[in-house]
Amino acid sequence: MQGFLRRRTPYTILPTPLPAETGSSALNDLYFTDSPTQDAVSVMDACLHNLYDVPRAKHIFEQLRSEGRGDTFLDARVYNSLIDAYLKMVSAPTTQDREMWLNSAWELYNGMEEGREKAHPTANTYALMLLAYLRFHPDSMQAGDAAVRCGAETHDPESMLRHIIEHQIPVSLVVADRAFQSSEEANEVIRLLSRAAVNMGLAKVVNELGMAESLGRQGLDPLEDVPEAIPVMKPKKPSINVIHSEDGSVVDIDVSESPEIETEIPFNLDTLRKHLSQVVFARRVMPDDVAARQKLLEDSVYDVAVKQMEHQAKMLEDLGLDNQRGLKHVDLQTWMWAWHQKLQVRLAAEIQNLVEEEHRLGGEYLYMAQRSPSSNVAYSDKVKHALSPFLTLLKPEKLSLITILELMNLQGTGGVSDGMKTARALLGVGRAVELEHKAQMCKKNNIAIPQSQFARADTSIFTRLGYRDLQARRVAARKYMEDAEDWTSDWSQLVRVKVGGFLVDCLMDVATVTRSLADAKGEEVYSEEQPAFFHSYEYVRGHKLGVIKLNPVVAERMARDRIKTTLHPRHLPMLIKPKPWLGPDQGGYLFNKTAAMRFKDSVEQLNYLRHASAAGNLELIYASLDVLGSTPWKINRGIFEIVLSVWNSGKRMCKIPPIVSDLPEPERPENYDTDQHARSIFLQRHKLYSQQKANNHSDRCSVNYKIEIARAFLGDTIYMPHNVDFRGRAYPVPPHLSHIGDDLSRGLLLFGEGKPLGERGFWWLKVHLANLYGFDKGSFDERIAFVEQHLEDIYDSVDHPLDGRMWWTKADDPWQCLATCMEIKAAIDSGDPHSYECSLPIHQDGTCNGLQHYAALGGDAQGAAQVNLAVTDRPSDVYTFVADMVEERLREDLAKGNKQARLLIGKVARKVVKQTVMTTVYGVTFIGARAQIEKQLAARGDIPAEECWEASAYLAKHVLGSIGDLFRGAKDIQLWLTSCARLIAKSIPAERVPNACGVVEEKKRGRAAAKKSPEARLKMEQMTSVVWTTPLGLPIVQPYRTTKRKQIMTGLQTVFISDPNQPSSVNSMKQATAFPPNFIHSLDATHMMLTALECRAQGLTFASVHDSYWTHAGDIDKMSVIIRDTFIALHSSDVLNKLHEEFRERYKGYKVPIAALRGTPALKKALALARVNSDEVSRVAGNDAPEKEPELALSEGEDVEAGSAEEVEDAPKKRRALPRKPKAAPEDEQDPSEDGFYTGRFVDLLDVLPDVPQKGDFDVKTIKKSLYFFS
Amino acid sequence: MSTLRSCVRYTRLLRRCYTRYNSTQATAPRIPSLPDQATWSEVFPVYAVSTLRDRVFVRKPETAAKLAESFLSDQLTTEGRPKVVIETYPGPGVLSRALLELPHSKLRKLIILEDQPEFTPYLEELQAVDPRVTVIKKSGYAWDAYTQIVQQGLMDDVQVVPWENGIHPELHFISHLPLNIMGEQLIAQFLRCIPERSWLFHYGRVPMSIIIGEWLWQRMTAPPGNKHRCKLSVVTEATIECTLSVPRTTVLPYDTHFWPQSIRSATQEKRPESRRSGQPMMPLNLVPLVKPLIGLGKLDQWDFILRRLFVLKSTPIKRSIGSLAPGASTLLKSLVDPLLPLDEQVDVSKASRDLTTRDWEMIARAFDKWPFAPVDLQIDPNVGKDRHMVDSKLRR
Repeated sequence: MQGFLRRRTPYTILPTPLPAETGSSALNDLYFTDSPTQDAVSVMDACLHNLYDVPRAKHIFEQLRSEGRGDTFLDARVYNSLIDAYLKMVSAPTTQDREMWLNSAWELYNGMEEGREKAHPTANTYALMLLAYLRFHPDSMQAGDAAVRCGAETHDPESMLRHIIEHQIPVSLVVADRAFQSSEEANEVIRLLSRAAVNMGLAKVVNELGMAESLGRQGLDPLEDVPEAIPVMKPKKPSINVIHSEDGSVVDIDVSESPEIETEIPFNLDTLRKHLSQVVFARRVMPDDVAARQKLLEDSVYDVAVKQMEHQAKMLEDLGLDNQRGLKHVDLQTWMWAWHQKLQVRLAAEIQNLVEEEHRLGGEYLYMAQRSPSSNVAYSDKVKHALSPFLTLLKPEKLSLITILELMNLQGTGGVSDGMKTARALLGVGRAVELEHKAQMCKKNNIAIPQSQFARADTSIFTRLGYRDLQARRVAARKYMEDAEDWTSDWSQLVRVKVGGFLVDCLMDVATVTRSLADAKGEEVYSEEQPAFFHSYEYVRGHKLGVIKLNPVVAERMARDRIKTTLHPRHLPMLIKPKPWLGPDQGGYLFNKTAAMRFKDSVEQLNYLRHASAAGNLELIYASLDVLGSTPWKINRGIFEIVLSVWNSGKRMCKIPPIVSDLPEPERPENYDTDQHARSIFLQRHKLYSQQKANNHSDRCSVNYKIEIARAFLGDTIYMPHNVDFRGRAYPVPPHLSHIGDDLSRGLLLFGEGKPLGERGFWWLKVHLANLYGFDKGSFDERIAFVEQHLEDIYDSVDHPLDGRMWWTKADDPWQCLATCMEIKAAIDSGDPHSYECSLPIHQDGTCNGLQHYAALGGDAQGAAQVNLAVTDRPSDVYTFVADMVEERLREDLAKGNKQARLLIGKVARKVVKQTVMTTVYGVTFIGARAQIEKQLAARGDIPAEECWEASAYLAKHVLGSIGDLFRGAKDIQLWLTSCARLIAKSIPAERVPNACGVVEEKKRGRAAAKKSPEARLKMEQMTSVVWTTPLGLPIVQPYRTTKRKQIMTGLQTVFISDPNQPSSVNSMKQATAFPPNFIHSLDATHMMLTALECRAQGLTFASVHDSYWTHAGDIDKMSVIIRDTFIALHSSDVLNKLHEEFRERYKGYKVPIAALRGTPALKKALALARVNSDEVSRVAGNDAPEKEPELALSEGEDVEAGSAEEVEDAPKKRRALPRKPKAAPEDEQDPSEDGFYTGRFVDLLDVLPDVPQKGDFDVKTIKKSLYFFS
Repeated sequence: MSTLRSCVRYTRLLRRCYTRYNSTQATAPRIPSLPDQATWSEVFPVYAVSTLRDRVFVRKPETAAKLAESFLSDQLTTEGRPKVVIETYPGPGVLSRALLELPHSKLRKLIILEDQPEFTPYLEELQAVDPRVTVIKKSGYAWDAYTQIVQQGLMDDVQVVPWENGIHPELHFISHLPLNIMGEQLIAQFLRCIPERSWLFHYGRVPMSIIIGEWLWQRMTAPPGNKHRCKLSVVTEATIECTLSVPRTTVLPYDTHFWPQSIRSATQEKRPESRRSGQPMMPLNLVPLVKPLIGLGKLDQWDFILRRLFVLKSTPIKRSIGSLAPGASTLLKSLVDPLLPLDEQVDVSKASRDLTTRDWEMIARAFDKWPFAPVDLQIDPNVGKDRHMVDSKLRR
């Protein structure tokens, strides 16, 4: 592993995107396709579906080809879909001009064959064309069938076979292709090809075809998944030798022996495919019956939901209750059913209208375009943004259900109580429609699901050979999956929003509830029919924000009723091991497209990921995600039952919120009306109170989800598919119930399998209990003693969880504590604790993991000791240390009679300062620290709401002061990281320098741009984001750019969304300040993945929550060794120097404007260079900028960055309004401060990139002996 | 710079000695004057202390005198009794000095609220020479400053005058408003105290004289249909009578009459219009209405309705009213009810911007009567703050 980490990591290097105002260049377009092109492609895709509007698709396709746009999208799969659609048009009953469609198909094929098109034919292409020949060619016609005449050049099977062989495509893949819908046709094609092969004298091909036919006639081996099957029973299989090329694709198949043909079994296409996948791709697929339940789960979510609602509605109707709407009998499902009934009818009608209108407009347009192809007929907006192709992909019933469920699901997001942001809701609904369509496409061809390839016995994946093997297998599996799926295109944000807007608008119109008021006796006195949803606007920090809200009666139900019907399977754990990760969007759920990386609207990140994946740089990332996903879990039944009874009681208990908020409403002071001061205090308190009440409601909803999911999977073994965030940290995909969730979620989960404790395991189980209880600062011996002392409490907790001494409820993590108590008791009661099979995950947590990485990076001995890298008898706890220091300072202030100190003394617990201490090393600002502390103080509840702000400001000052230079070593590295990032974010590629100086004017920029000041122009050119590669090969791209939102009109509201395809200039401030934390996170993610892989290799079950690693109690000692080994391996690989090296490679030739260096040490260096070598610092000629502005404009530019609307809170606010130093201050002597000097001068980025800070003498290998490093 | 400052301090000291000498001679105390205006950019360093940038105050003593006269002698605001004046945001006190020049028969007490350390020394000088003056070193923005006034017994001799008995004959509130967000909030807050009769209005219909920027004034006084018409305009109209105390020309141009000097820079250009330096200042006399349209206890409802509906200020009410609450479209029925007298019906095809205050009153009334009107009328406290679960939900 060490060798692997020391190797030169392969970089993924892509060009920096061009500013949006610029025209385009071929290279840029290759990586950053604009939204209109993507829209066109997605409309084409939608038009092809079910032959919705093939003429239109054909028109778009031809236009895209002739304009050369969207070349990245137009690969062989797209061509094949078009050929497929053309051929279907030939036989479609409504088609008038069958000849034309057949011609088009052949012409397209000929174009591919003759190299006129960029895409080359694939097995699918040949399968389609063979079908065309079979169905329509006069030579193959049966008597009575009418052949279709074709003007274009056609090929006979012989000619096609020649091409197939030329392209090195195995014929068996052609005959098993998904293009064949019936076994008869496939068999027929085998016959055609065989005859051709015989004619051509190709014995090998004849053999191969014979083999294929025989495979298709074999019965499936019922014992194929039983490892020790007795070989005698197996039918004789031909020995087939598959030759793979470098990239893992199949080059050739060699059949050495002719099989016997068992004629009694009819030829079956499915069987052939199944066998081929095993034989050809040398991999096993999951047996159908195992996957069946998961398939059903993902398959039928909407059908099941409908069934349930229908059932419920019917039941109520039978009971005669449906007329009593507004009474408590009505529940969510009944309502949803009613809305669904109305909505599907409404949608059907509305869509029909839309289809007709758009058809008419589109038809007119097509007619015009075809009449005069040369003249550029303008698209009308209606035609360009036609919705009907998308809305007809799914049936109205399904659209209706998706809209309802998606809205119910999004409630409570975006911080909107009982509602959601409109933009998010519309995008969400649009995306759900897109996903459902894609899932249908995935399911269409009944693909077998490949199994995870990383088996325990594999040769080490850290060797070159092992790695290559891993890659070859993934590529093969990916190709297999891709070949088997129909092509679909991604939708642009615009399409999603528009589709969402249309659907939600219809829903809001029809969905109503009856709301009634009851008097004190509970009798209905007034009722009114009201919309179930309504939309409105809020002003948030000066921005108009559209929101959709639930009617209060609906919202109330969300916190009470059973809500599982609203959950989509992509919110649930899986019943089988997740599909292994085969590519950026292949893996996880079977049919629901899941992305390997979560990111928001950054096409740049997606590009890097795709390229890295294609280059085979991500094998270990995928492999470790597979490891994490394959960890089996089950629901802890004991805990579930207690949780359920607490829930049903409706009372508050251990983070389960009560049904009705039990917080006391603040009392209105007597002088409320007259004293404005007393009034404002009351209002503040009341605001906090309603905030807590709203939180109580949303907590209640969130717990409701958890319980529902746990209930649904009781008794099942479940799996959590994982993906990564953009820094490479892994997260389980299901959002509601997973081990990354809160104490309750964790308490509800157990490993799927148990393992005997052993002596050490029993010992660790006790340590674990002490840790969960909050007694985690003592030495191990003390923790054990703590548990021994509390044995009685432990027994009482298990025996009387809700009516005993309630010892467990006082733990830091009560539910997990109770789960552990149960295990301890069960182990002891078993009589032989050491052989007790325990499936409770035991955690090993890093001590302030960020600091641990900093200390190891810098070889900082002092820092190492603070975070338990060094060997000590007792764990060191830096949070307590800081908290004590702060308390000390408060005592001093108290002596001086400080009011704040009096308020806070004795309340500065470790918890209050923890987050701030942790984030100092990530560069938390005063603003941020204050907010963190305020949150903690508010959570304590013993500080009046109106005092919190000031108290937290006061405390933040002391906390930051106490931390001071506690983490010297970390600070140096942090500074280095920040300065590098700052320079990179300000740099521009060499070839853009003339543009940045305004020497070259782009046409598109027009007049306005020409007038821009040099600084503004420079800012426009700053497009370089900080990119680096983790030791595992994952490229990480910081997405921080200025946000440009576009206004989109939808049926419902005007929403503002950003266009991810439109690159904008970087936010250099954010790029710099966010780099240290992101970099450290990319390292801790690497450490975790290395540990996961190694645990798998050694057969340990593994799960993780960032810097908390979990395994079975009995395996903790083994895992501890692994954790330390991987950490040492990681930090022995000279991480910082490698980063430096990578920057030098990646940003070679990038130029930094000297003006950007002002106020940094790099300035002197740059100026020295300027003096020595006037070529290095080239002043670009032709600059006629006015002489004085730079200084002012530059600093204001940064002001703007800091104030970007959404990120206000994160942006450091260090701006001081002090007057600038007089220009001739002594220390600036070397600085030629004549303002014009800076304008238009650049220096090589590599020349000013600072050196890596000196490493201290702490040896990271020491941690092998550190007991408390992870504990 | 520091030398300059100490120099100023020295002259000030000298002057104080001189004043003291003089005051022993004359019966009426002489009011200590402010440092030479030429030195102000050093004494009140706008660039060094950014809060001072927005603290506009009258600079010219003659103008201040005219304003003082217009505030305390106007028919609208006075009844001839000696006044107790609470003055906030006085700056170094040019206006305060002008007020003190008024005889005891017009001004019997001046309570000054100021917390900016650059200004307080010049105010404390006043307290030293004139027993009518009390300086409290607190900002007029902090509500507890007013609590303190009461606690110090300064209001003991001010009686509570029933609302219907005309304006309060004694109590008077005077303020410059800073050109920042606090200034805007402050005026809105004052107005909102009127229907509730809280704050100073506990004592009765206390007249106020306020110097505000032109932009804010336009917003306050924008009539229906005007592009500046906003929530503040409606609240103003519903609670107070508002007049210019002197003709605009008296206080124009800005730089002659006010401090700090107007700044022209790119930074200023980027500020919102309301806070741009150098805009004309408007001295206003304000008197609470005898019958504010916003009834006692109805303020929160008005706030809620206005806030929601002004978000869609150019959408006809019949369409925007639905955004008040689920089912709120039902309010339309009672707005256009043909059984109502004509002047109580509302033309619902008008947009929020075009509605009169009377129209608003009808909407507020209908809302109040609606059984399902939301009870919690605060802005959603969590909007904009994403919670973790939400984030992870989105990132997929």
